Amino acid sequence: MGVTSDARVVWQFLNGIAAIYKPAGYSLHRTRNTILTHLCRDLNALEGRPQREYVRIEGETDKPMTVQVVPNLADHLLLTGPHYQQKDFKLSWVNYLGYDTSGVVIIGINEGARTVMRMRESNPTRFYKVKGVFGQATDNYFTSGKIVEKATYKSIKRATVDAICASMQASHQRKMFELCGVDMQSQAAYELAIQGPIRPANNKIPMIYAIKCVAFNMPEFTLEIACINEYEMYLKTLVHQLGIQLHSVATCTQIQCFRYGLFTTELALLKKHWDVQSILDNMEQTQAILDNNKYLVEQDSPTLIEQQI
Amino acid sequence: MFKLVRNYSKLSSPKVRQKLTATNTKSPNPPPNELPVFQYPVSQSSDRRVYVWGLAGHGALGLQPPIAKRKKFLFYHKPNRLRFAEQHRVIDIESGYGFTVFAVDSKDGNILWGNGINTDSQLGYDAAAKDPQNVVPLPKPIHLPLKNPSSQVTGLAAGRAHLLVLTTEGLFTLGNNGYGQCGRPIIVDEDYTNNTIVHHIPDIKGERIKSVTAGQDHSILLSESGQVYTFGWGADGQTGLAHYRNEYKPSLVKGDLAGENIVKVACMADCVLALSDKGTVFGWGNSEYGQLPSLVDNHQINIATEIQECRSLGHVVDIAAGGSFCMVLNSDGNVFVWGYGILGVGPAVQRAKEPTMIPATLFGFNAYSRNNRVSQIYCGISQLAAVTDNGDLYMWGCNKFGSLGLGNIEDQFFPLKVAVGAQVKKVSCGVDHTVTLCKPYI
Repeated sequence: MGVTSDARVVWQFLNGIAAIYKPAGYSLHRTRNTILTHLCRDLNALEGRPQREYVRIEGETDKPMTVQVVPNLADHLLLTGPHYQQKDFKLSWVNYLGYDTSGVVIIGINEGARTVMRMRESNPTRFYKVKGVFGQATDNYFTSGKIVEKATYKSIKRATVDAICASMQASHQRKMFELCGVDMQSQAAYELAIQGPIRPANNKIPMIYAIKCVAFNMPEFTLEIACINEYEMYLKTLVHQLGIQLHSVATCTQIQCFRYGLFTTELALLKKHWDVQSILDNMEQTQAILDNNKYLVEQDSPTLIEQQI
Repeated sequence: MFKLVRNYSKLSSPKVRQKLTATNTKSPNPPPNELPVFQYPVSQSSDRRVYVWGLAGHGALGLQPPIAKRKKFLFYHKPNRLRFAEQHRVIDIESGYGFTVFAVDSKDGNILWGNGINTDSQLGYDAAAKDPQNVVPLPKPIHLPLKNPSSQVTGLAAGRAHLLVLTTEGLFTLGNNGYGQCGRPIIVDEDYTNNTIVHHIPDIKGERIKSVTAGQDHSILLSESGQVYTFGWGADGQTGLAHYRNEYKPSLVKGDLAGENIVKVACMADCVLALSDKGTVFGWGNSEYGQLPSLVDNHQINIATEIQECRSLGHVVDIAAGGSFCMVLNSDGNVFVWGYGILGVGPAVQRAKEPTMIPATLFGFNAYSRNNRVSQIYCGISQLAAVTDNGDLYMWGCNKFGSLGLGNIEDQFFPLKVAVGAQVKKVSCGVDHTVTLCKPYI
């Protein structure tokens, strides 16, 4: 894209999908608001359209009249307000991250908002890093809550955590067959099952494909989770359940969505880069990914395609 | 309802409330600002749990059903944790046709317990029982004539109505001897109900017995040097003695086994598989359903024959034989099945003449878990089971009385994980029930 100082040109390019890094402790609605504020700020700083004019015909009617073109004061910036305002934008997200979660959020701006819905329906895998701490349980399953129970955790070993994670994963695979929407006794179910991980037909029930412990430093631990249809509270309760299964208690301390489909944190824009120039550059990159991977917007496979963990 | 409201109103009356708060404030321990730190119990590494499921009507599960359900036809289609195993240190399990036996590590001499059908005294004779016990609903000790009180059970095998117990003092056999499967001379018209006989086989030709296996009505002994001896019913050639007669003396199996060191023998009904230390698979017995594929002209094979089809499967490490099918596991963790029935390769495959691989994806192998492989396989009459490295149990086959433990009674055409809450160490499938020996995670 060439350099331009015309806001109207920039506006025309502001159509597409961008990857944003949402910080934790910052709601997604607030993120949206901030992005829109910044977009308006940047666009209004550029050269906008000139003030409209109108033709004024004056004079006595029985004499030749004067025709003048004068600036239309009704179109003055002080009267109309800034040219680009938040309500002019369409901005929606593909994946929702809760208040305590940080990570990649895919947003669609203006025309991109149409792609958002199709991307949401394609239901790609999300990858999370979930950190937890053993020994305490809080009333809201997160570190921000009030501690309601304490327990010892000396007996917990890395091998035990791994074994329970593997068992959780295997149990979810069984649920995967039940959620695929095909009669379990049919040949179709068998043919689907042998292909590997299946996407759930239902878009409400959380489905975990992989869960493993990647860091273990007593009493803290980190889980890496690949899943679909998850939500923040589900991941928090997962940590809580893990604690109970290990005959102790555990609280979630951090949740990070480090990958959504093919979009990783490397691509996602940090809060300091939420401006027009960065977002336009980001749109170009994400568009290249979408063009190369059509299934991101038009899913026709019942099984998972992207499988790198 | 009204009672509840009344009680509640009593409790919430100002008088009572005063009383309650008064006692609360008095308690000095724990301090109000500090939470107590709980220490939840952790299991020992030797602790075992037993989960059971399937038909409960004949008492083989050893569960005490709720009083309201006792008169109903009862089965459990989900794993149930057995209370008996919490009170005793169970080291081995075995399920026969409608009965279950447990080997227990105990100091009081009761090292063998059993429950279920006892029509042929396969669970021993109890003189103290008031009336003849054809069904033992809860585990009761089985008396063995042991010389040394510190003897231990080292192996168990159960058939249709007989039981083999291998101890450090040798082999003891109980139950039906109609075909000589207990290893003692057949007595015509012997009454097996309330039979007190426990036969003792100290060794086999001076050699220690390593393990025991039981078919429907025959028994197989494996000696320390890898020799296979059989006795019992031979009508389908399942004794492998080159004849179809019944034999009560443990006799060496004829055929290709000569000179081989056999490490495992598997049998559930009347087809026997044997595995040598080199990974060669041998078979004999009934082949009506193509369990022994290379021999098509004869369905009753009475000498041990090598199964040629298994040569191309790599190094075979485990074998299992069911009622109408066979299953082998190779060192790569791949499971192969052949025979007739629900084999685990979809509803379209009813019969497989050659070993057919069950895709590894069905046992949880995928891009997310690449080191997940099957390590043990087991067969019942019509159910199949595989256990992975992680101790996850997968089952499939005919789901009679919920014996697959999948939470339903629908037949399962491909392996599906059973929700057992511990790492599975051993599975024993009966005809219509399944017993697993598990290790708690923590």
